[in-house]
Amino acid sequence: MNNPEQRQSGRREFLARTAKAGLAVAAVGAASYLLYDPAVPTPAEDAGRLVTLPDFSVPAVPAKAMSIVTGAERTRTVDKAIELLGGIERFVKPGETVAIKPNVAFASPPALGATTNPDLVGEVVRLCYKAGARKVIIADNPINDAASCFALSGVDAAARRTGAQVLLPTDSMFKYTTLEGGKLIRNWQVFFEPFIKADKLIGIAPVKDHQRAGASMTIKNWYGLLGGRRNIFHQDINTIIAELSMMVRPTLVILDGTEVMVTNGPTGGSVSDLKRANTMIASCDQVAADAYGCTLLGLKPSDLPYLAKAQQAGSGKIDYESLKPKLTAIS
Amino acid sequence: MRAKPGQPNQRESVISFGLLGLLFLIGLWIFTAQFNFDMGRFGMSVPVDEVSAAKQGITGKETAALESFAPAGFEASSGVETYTAENLYEKIDGKADFYLDSGFRKLFTRRFKDRNDDALWFEVYLYDMASNRGAFSVFSVQRRPEAVASGVLEPIYTYRTANALYCMNGHYYIELVGSVESEPLFGAIMETRDNLRKNLPVDMVTEITELKLFPAASLVPESFKLYLSDVFGFEKLTNTFTARYKADDEIITAFFSRRPDAQDARNIAQAYHSFLLESGCTDKATTNEALKNLKASVIDSYGATEIIFVTGPFVAGVHEAQNQSAAQKLVEMLADSLLVAAGQKK
Repeated sequence: MNNPEQRQSGRREFLARTAKAGLAVAAVGAASYLLYDPAVPTPAEDAGRLVTLPDFSVPAVPAKAMSIVTGAERTRTVDKAIELLGGIERFVKPGETVAIKPNVAFASPPALGATTNPDLVGEVVRLCYKAGARKVIIADNPINDAASCFALSGVDAAARRTGAQVLLPTDSMFKYTTLEGGKLIRNWQVFFEPFIKADKLIGIAPVKDHQRAGASMTIKNWYGLLGGRRNIFHQDINTIIAELSMMVRPTLVILDGTEVMVTNGPTGGSVSDLKRANTMIASCDQVAADAYGCTLLGLKPSDLPYLAKAQQAGSGKIDYESLKPKLTAIS
Repeated sequence: MRAKPGQPNQRESVISFGLLGLLFLIGLWIFTAQFNFDMGRFGMSVPVDEVSAAKQGITGKETAALESFAPAGFEASSGVETYTAENLYEKIDGKADFYLDSGFRKLFTRRFKDRNDDALWFEVYLYDMASNRGAFSVFSVQRRPEAVASGVLEPIYTYRTANALYCMNGHYYIELVGSVESEPLFGAIMETRDNLRKNLPVDMVTEITELKLFPAASLVPESFKLYLSDVFGFEKLTNTFTARYKADDEIITAFFSRRPDAQDARNIAQAYHSFLLESGCTDKATTNEALKNLKASVIDSYGATEIIFVTGPFVAGVHEAQNQSAAQKLVEMLADSLLVAAGQKK
């Protein structure tokens, strides 16, 4: 590089290359700036394919938000519990289609209490038809083989006996939803078909111990509506249950504490996992129902963090006594 | 070949094109891979041996054992279902993590029903827990308080309830769950259990030798449990055996955990002690000479007594006893047994 001509050529070339590199960087920067979208993707952008679950709740009636009936026979206690809230006619109008969401998560016999009792489901179906319902649909999305779960739990037979239609999930019945203000339920598959067809929604769940959540009751029951690899939500179980309370606004929830699974939930497996508590709860407030229900497991509402989250999200009241629940016993 | 001034030589060109080609291939791979996006894959993958076995149609010994037998008067009402760590939740939902934390490898299930009565059926859950300790942990922690020994071999490792039988065999934890309370059904369950023991060879003993370290006097029969993690709410206390003892009108829980060495045992004991104090418990004085010799910590846990001591590699003690005097006596007995095991006493 001792030749002055070569040195001059090298300097020129260096400057030219630096200028080109600078231009390239500037061009990329400018392009990035022009293409930059400061707004993160929002559900509105996917509005074409996202769905929102309808609000199925009914207008509040003072002092008729919750009832607690004690007694051994489910069919009688549930009748009374609904009667105390104003009767089934308050919730179901003639000609309406009612969706019932029991807990049919497992291919488990009724005697083990891991699933909603079939006699209880049958009685609620009967009441709906008595009120003039045009159709009653029973739906759940067990991860395991749905047909086996419905058959072995006895819910399928109860549906046949009472004239309800069991809706077994298929891929086409799922739609994507994003919960407004939700952290976990974002662009996630939900078992939507029952909601398209229904005017009213009734959740029926047993009171169960739950290894991860502490307890499985009416709000956790909505977990069965989620599709996809929903077990990933177990890592943040309290948030997902609270979000389910925001996502689903039911007409009525029924919490069955006739026999309570006090240990080894949510599957149980032995009849000795059950304890007789002889309690039936009907409520328009799912948070209040669960807040009372957990006491049947020997828990306090503060033992279940999802209840506080659900209350904070406006899904209901932990202080169930403020609802002035109707109490009665059936001998 | 020498390059002209200002132009790359041949080697530089080759390297440049090579790098560009590599970048292109990476881009192509990302482009292709993104079509297979699946959130469920994060942290979970199908075991290679599972895929391979499925492709080759290989039947494992567990499947073979479940397929080869049905009790008299019963028939299989489902095929053998196999679950891995990836999809265990499909079968047992919220309980899956408990099994996964205990070493779970696979679950095999099959249902059998009475030929003449569809309402009489039972399901076999055959859990491969990889080790007898993993099997014992899930077996013992879930042991039903109302359980009765099944009246057969090894009551520590087998019990029954009104509708089900629970047992372990080597590294297998087995549940046989009946649909209803029925003695004929239970007979079929027992027959199936016996068949599994015969036709499913295990290369690992069932017996958990540490259980012998608990003193026999006043022991509540078959009350042993093995907690593998987060014992008594304390994250660092792991692999801990507990047993229950009758003391007057109280049931007291004794515990021990064998650590890798004495230093680790001392560290864990100290950390557990600190954890309790941070949780609002307070130190308590004792005049018991044996406890003083053991340098045991006696702690008031909201009215209950917690005692912690270290012997060789063992962290041990008594958990939340109401009667301090009875708790101290139990610690003396447990310490004697552990001192012998640690070689510090004959």
